Amino acid sequence: MYVEDFEAFYEQSVALYQANPLATRYTIKFRHSEGKVVLKVTDDRTCLKFKTDQQVDLRKIERITTIFFPLMACGELPAEGQDAAATAQQAPAAAAAQAGAGGKKARRRG
Amino acid sequence: MVLLEPDPFLSELHKMYERNKNGSVWITMKRSNMKPRKTKKPDPKREYVCLIRANDGKRHISTTVSPTQYAKFSQSMVIIMKGAMADTLKRKEKKKDK
Repeated sequence: MYVEDFEAFYEQSVALYQANPLATRYTIKFRHSEGKVVLKVTDDRTCLKFKTDQQVDLRKIERITTIFFPLMACGELPAEGQDAAATAQQAPAAAAAQAGAGGKKARRRG
Repeated sequence: MVLLEPDPFLSELHKMYERNKNGSVWITMKRSNMKPRKTKKPDPKREYVCLIRANDGKRHISTTVSPTQYAKFSQSMVIIMKGAMADTLKRKEKKKDK
């Protein structure tokens, strides 16, 4: 199932992963000849996909990739998990901050 | 399937992108509780790793990244990915493209 909106994709992906961490995989498919990237998150029941051919979306790809690394390597990241939800709302600024911090960022509590 | 250390994996990944200018490259990441063969009793609390595979339809390579390594690795991997993708993807029609 393709999700058009990146923010929705991002939130749903993280939620899907957190529901079943060991069964969920994240795939980045890059089709060079067509200049197309497809991100896919699936636990074999639900399948979320996001497709783009725009260069500006690289930043989004970077963002979701850098959130999945800590999630998958360390597992539970409560602080980051909360941030992920918060990040989704204040997208551009938070994305930049996150990219700069390489996935580790200061807690933001409103 | 070749299991590589993170650094060789990154350079192989780069080559894979270079080789496949007419094809596709898949990168898959998942959480894994895969154990080194020596440890027989898995301790559920520690040592989950992030398993990363890359595939171009012909070759598979894979690596594992531990919680201590991921920060550096993810940065490098994102740089490689962006490097490979940046030229191919469409620029926005606005003047302000990255």
